[in-house]
Amino acid sequence: MTQKELHNQRLVREAEQAVMRMNTRRHFLKESAMGLGALALGSLFGSCGSKASQNSVVFDPAHPLLPKLPPFAGKAKSVIYLHMAGAPSQLELFDYKPELMKMDGQDCPQSLLEGKKFAFIRGVPKMLGPQAKFAQHGQSGAWVSENMPHLSTIVDEISFLKAVTTDQFNHAPAQLMVHTGSARLGRPSLGSWVTYGLGTENQNLPGFVVLTSGGRNPDAGKSVWGSGFLPSVYQGVQCRSEGDPVLFIKDPDGMDRDLRKASIDAINEVNAQEYKEYNDPEILSRISQYEMAYKMQISVPEVMNINNEPQYIHDMYGTKPGEGCFANNVLLARKLVEKGVRFVQLFDWGWDSHGTDASLAIDVGFINKCRSVDKCITALILDLKQRGLLEETLVVWGGEFGRTPMQENREGKKMPYKGRDHHTEAFTIWMAGAGIKKGFSYGETDEIGYSAISGKVEPFDVQATILNQLGFDHEKFTYDFQGRPFRLTDTRGKVISDIIA
Amino acid sequence: MKKKIIFGTLIIVAVAVSVWLIDQNNSTVDFTTQVKPIINKNCITCHGGVKQKGGFSLLFRDEALAKTKSGKYAIVPGDPGNSEMIRRINLSDPEDRMPYKHDPLSKEDIDVLTKWIKEGAPWGEHWAYVPVKEVPVPQPKTFFGLINTKSDWAKKPVDNFIEQKLKEQDLKPSAQADKQTLLRRVSLDLIGMPAPENIATNFLNDNSENAYTNLVDSLLASPHFGEKWTSMWLDLARYADTKGYEADRGRNIWKYRDWLINAFNADMPYDKFLTEQLAGDLLPNPTDNDYIATAFHRNSMTNDEGGTENEEFRTSAVMDRVSTTWQGLMGTTFACVQCHSHPYDPFKHDEYYKFMAFFNNARDEDTEADYPLLRQYGDKDSMDLLRLKNWLAKNVSETKSEEYYTFLKTWQPSINSLQCDEFVNAALVSSWYAGMRNNGSCRLPHVDLENKKELMFRYTASSKNGLWTIHLDSLSGPVLSSVQIAPVKEGWKIATTEIQSTEGAHDLYFTYKNEGLKTPEETGVLFEWFAFTEKFPGKEKPGYDSAYHLFWQLMNAPVSTTPVMYENPTNMHRASYVFERGNWLVKGDKVEPDVPKSLNPFPANAPRNRLGLAMWLTSKQNPLTARTMVNRVWEQLFGTGLAETLEDLGSQGIPPTHPELLDWLSYQFMNDDNWSTKKLIRTIVMSATYQQDSKLTPELEQKDPNNKFYTRGARVRLSAEQVRDQCLCVSGLMSNKMYGPSVYPYQPNGIWLSPWNGDEWKQNTGEDQYRRALYTYWKRSSPYPSMITFDGVAREVCTVRRIRTNTPLQALTTLNDSAYIDIARSFAYRMQKLAGSDVKQQIKTGFQLATYHDIDDKSLHAFLNLYNTALAKFKSAPDKTCEMIGGMNEHTNAETAALSVVANAMLNLDEVVTKN
Repeated sequence: MTQKELHNQRLVREAEQAVMRMNTRRHFLKESAMGLGALALGSLFGSCGSKASQNSVVFDPAHPLLPKLPPFAGKAKSVIYLHMAGAPSQLELFDYKPELMKMDGQDCPQSLLEGKKFAFIRGVPKMLGPQAKFAQHGQSGAWVSENMPHLSTIVDEISFLKAVTTDQFNHAPAQLMVHTGSARLGRPSLGSWVTYGLGTENQNLPGFVVLTSGGRNPDAGKSVWGSGFLPSVYQGVQCRSEGDPVLFIKDPDGMDRDLRKASIDAINEVNAQEYKEYNDPEILSRISQYEMAYKMQISVPEVMNINNEPQYIHDMYGTKPGEGCFANNVLLARKLVEKGVRFVQLFDWGWDSHGTDASLAIDVGFINKCRSVDKCITALILDLKQRGLLEETLVVWGGEFGRTPMQENREGKKMPYKGRDHHTEAFTIWMAGAGIKKGFSYGETDEIGYSAISGKVEPFDVQATILNQLGFDHEKFTYDFQGRPFRLTDTRGKVISDIIA
Repeated sequence: MKKKIIFGTLIIVAVAVSVWLIDQNNSTVDFTTQVKPIINKNCITCHGGVKQKGGFSLLFRDEALAKTKSGKYAIVPGDPGNSEMIRRINLSDPEDRMPYKHDPLSKEDIDVLTKWIKEGAPWGEHWAYVPVKEVPVPQPKTFFGLINTKSDWAKKPVDNFIEQKLKEQDLKPSAQADKQTLLRRVSLDLIGMPAPENIATNFLNDNSENAYTNLVDSLLASPHFGEKWTSMWLDLARYADTKGYEADRGRNIWKYRDWLINAFNADMPYDKFLTEQLAGDLLPNPTDNDYIATAFHRNSMTNDEGGTENEEFRTSAVMDRVSTTWQGLMGTTFACVQCHSHPYDPFKHDEYYKFMAFFNNARDEDTEADYPLLRQYGDKDSMDLLRLKNWLAKNVSETKSEEYYTFLKTWQPSINSLQCDEFVNAALVSSWYAGMRNNGSCRLPHVDLENKKELMFRYTASSKNGLWTIHLDSLSGPVLSSVQIAPVKEGWKIATTEIQSTEGAHDLYFTYKNEGLKTPEETGVLFEWFAFTEKFPGKEKPGYDSAYHLFWQLMNAPVSTTPVMYENPTNMHRASYVFERGNWLVKGDKVEPDVPKSLNPFPANAPRNRLGLAMWLTSKQNPLTARTMVNRVWEQLFGTGLAETLEDLGSQGIPPTHPELLDWLSYQFMNDDNWSTKKLIRTIVMSATYQQDSKLTPELEQKDPNNKFYTRGARVRLSAEQVRDQCLCVSGLMSNKMYGPSVYPYQPNGIWLSPWNGDEWKQNTGEDQYRRALYTYWKRSSPYPSMITFDGVAREVCTVRRIRTNTPLQALTTLNDSAYIDIARSFAYRMQKLAGSDVKQQIKTGFQLATYHDIDDKSLHAFLNLYNTALAKFKSAPDKTCEMIGGMNEHTNAETAALSVVANAMLNLDEVVTKN
């Protein structure tokens, strides 16, 4: 499909969405009109109507994933969120601190330790200078370390947030904070809010897809893509690179497509008989879900198969078909947004560079992790751009917190490898595409990268910005639960307007 | 003739309308139903529990009538003319008009508010906060209300309430559902799966009047009853087999699940059921079962992640208990009161923390081992324990006997080593245990040493020659004891040392020396807990030596454990404080345990602990407990509660469609039925309302689209558990085995991948693969995928209501999940076995098994077609046949493979996954 066709298809789809939105509204009004009628008669149904209207999005349990339009026109149609689980060191990637090098090996000043709490650092640790060489790149002159040689070439597409802070210094709560706006379990994730608010453009694919690599799930488990108190239909669907790409998508052994088709036809024929008897519209809805399931069985494996991509794409991303690696997932992310998936979330595990062993050392394992993501992420930006998709796809990269300028001394001991502890007061997240400024950097840390000194933002602000790019006012996008309207950003969050073009 | 009727009808309508109008004008304004909704919708956001703009709040009457910041009175009872609120809502200037920066109120709303103030601005109580009173059963009357008539539809009092509303709406109930439908419906509702064959056959063959009654009673008596209602309770109790958070390691708490099954089966009165779960440990001479019941509130999560603040997660667990108690047991949203007074309902900020104080003295502290644990001994050791208990009672005292018994059963009271601080050359290793290195030291704060002569401690050490010294008050303080720490070969060891006697509470300072450690970084000893005790009593009595020996044998005996509640003794009491704006680090005023003023008073003479709390909660004066349970049971049976928002009966929840019925049932439940859950369920399922046909007609769809008036039977998709259980039953695979550790049925590879946790899903073999869904191992961070797809919940926190969705992923699960293919095969074998070789007969039998109904011709034809298509395929491809059957065995033939395809389709029918 050419760019133009794709564009036209999207225009048509938008028009269809508008109609559907009208219909959903009408359906909803009809429902509450019944409520109002009842009010006049029974006077007891009063708050039915007002109750439902407090959720800012119309929820139709029979068609929970129909596409909906956002409250205002957003720049982003989809989001790709690249989460480096474990929290990569900003000090070896984007936050260049020559002053820290001068302090390398010295005792950490008391002023940095007083009243602070660290996950593993005890007593007085030593300072650890940057373990990578830095240079400025592009017209924007962004500092990037030698660990990201490819990404260095596209810094002019990116806005860096250099002064992100959080209040959680353990992985699970901090990941929950980034993705659900709360350190506790039980809140809906960013992706599920977005699917709840926008539905999905392609009914043959899930609206919210999650891909993991690095051999483990993120520390906070599946809750980081859970639906919390939103209906479970909005949780992220984990697509896997081994086994079925989506659980249970493959026909059972011995059953081919034709037989599956015949069996779904039989099921729906009998269901249609039942509908004649019961007249329950829920039966029609089930019939259409089975048809959709059949279509998904074709479209999911198709989109999840990277074998048919041309060689130059494989070269560009450094993909290895058949392996469960991050590069493959990045390429899949591009394919998925191209097909109309709303939210693609990637988790790559293994960034927790404490220095407890070689794989978790800032000067060994960390470098390998960087190598495994640098080329493919760069390819993603370039590939989206060449397809005209970067304009409407928001790409976000980051971890759950940063790492200390001090070398970790777990339980007050010297560590076998160089490592850094969890750090909440400064880390880097970057965004690109979908109306985000190109070649820009926002926020600064002090001269050793310990604290944010200007342009400080927190995960709530990042969330507010993502929602804003999708066409939502994060303060008005709510869902009623436990007697009050909840929103992703809870009581906080401010759109980071400085990075919006 | 026709004209006359129309004319007559017109007159009647006109009279009715004018009566209604007169009635409207004369009646006084009702606060709860007329005023409060206007306030909640338009005013409360700025003038309520969260914000009090202009010094004005509409939450409580005394606040609303008070002078506002401007010096004016917003409400002057009886005098709307001088009420600032009335003036402001009538203004036209949007800068001054209320609601501020919003559209003006409608004329009707303004009239209601004006009239209400004129009438003296009486406050009303929200229906759910008023104790349940006896409600008369409505008697059907003719239009003029003169003659009592007997309804020809209503069977039970429930029906009279329903019928009254139906008549008001000019609606008619549906006919009774056919026998097969009723059988399936009531079986799924009462036992969560199709009825056992004998019960089903008895019912279908029984043409007497009592057939249905007998069916209901057999199902209520079935042991599967408890399993079904336990499934419901597990969501509320946030039951899971893992601790949650990062590594999400396992936890042995399944005995609580089994306790629930037994409690439901024994029809334990609901007040007792709640009391044991909230405070079983505080009952006199608690039994093991009483302790296990308290695991209800030990289902809160424990955070094992290294570097976490244990007190933060202990606090979090306590708050979770508050939230679960309110949401699950009292249908009230209380969580918002953590940060500020309730925005809509009459609960004040500090009342949250007073309530929390009831739970704040449980002994658990986010320890890795999930202490306190109930320790259950094997048979021989149990006998020995009894012997020791008796010896102590006889030779020392009842009190000592109880004390030692409890200690052996729980290792409590003891002090967890995570209470240590001021570490030097020492650390709280992994945030779990105090560990010490050569020349290390740390502090154990505030230990009551009154009458203490001995210190028992659980520890592990890898190296010889460690010397542990305990100092009083400072590192250089007097030495209480010096202990040579013996190395431990494997795991942990409990040791004991005598300590110098002293008085009162002190900080203890530990030092540790061990020159034998290889590096300064090496940890020489890890402590888990400390227990300061008197000397084992009865030294001078006969049999002391063997009693003392028995004590140590039992301390170290193999046991099975379950996390339970255990209350802090007085000398370990934790004070409770208000958290400013909900932040646990910012402590405000100190508070004592209490319940919100707006509800029933705390029972006189009840202790101010969890037991007293349970007495308050199960008091017949508590307006919420019975209503919440009745509403929940109704929701289980009809798919929607009488009040739809099970989680919120407060003023922001959706009000009940039949408030009088809810109250009648609640009153009946507490009084006549003495909190019997089985009787409550029976009362409902015996009604004509419940037994209606669930078919929808165009007329009903128009007049009662959501079945709010119960014009027909409920039609809802089965729950995640029911979907699985029904398939297992229909296919003949279901195991009848009850109880025990959770099981691992088939799950695709690669689902569990928790960090720092090598646990693997080890699929069971044999009948454990085919146990009921509620026995499935539940891992919070990665719950059993097919059940989650069918709207099961992760159970991280209390879930009051599952929201049913309908998605293609559900279709994919029952179509393709290997577990369901396995089931389909067995279903096909069963059809062949029961029906012989005729395919038509096989399909008919299968349909019968799945729905109890005869298949209609068109459907039979559809399945026959499918069978023939499949048969042709398998005949031409024997390898596919083998794959479909899953190997070479006596079933590996094209016919069986084709029938398996049909079985798989049949189990995916709407009629099968839906309760008609």
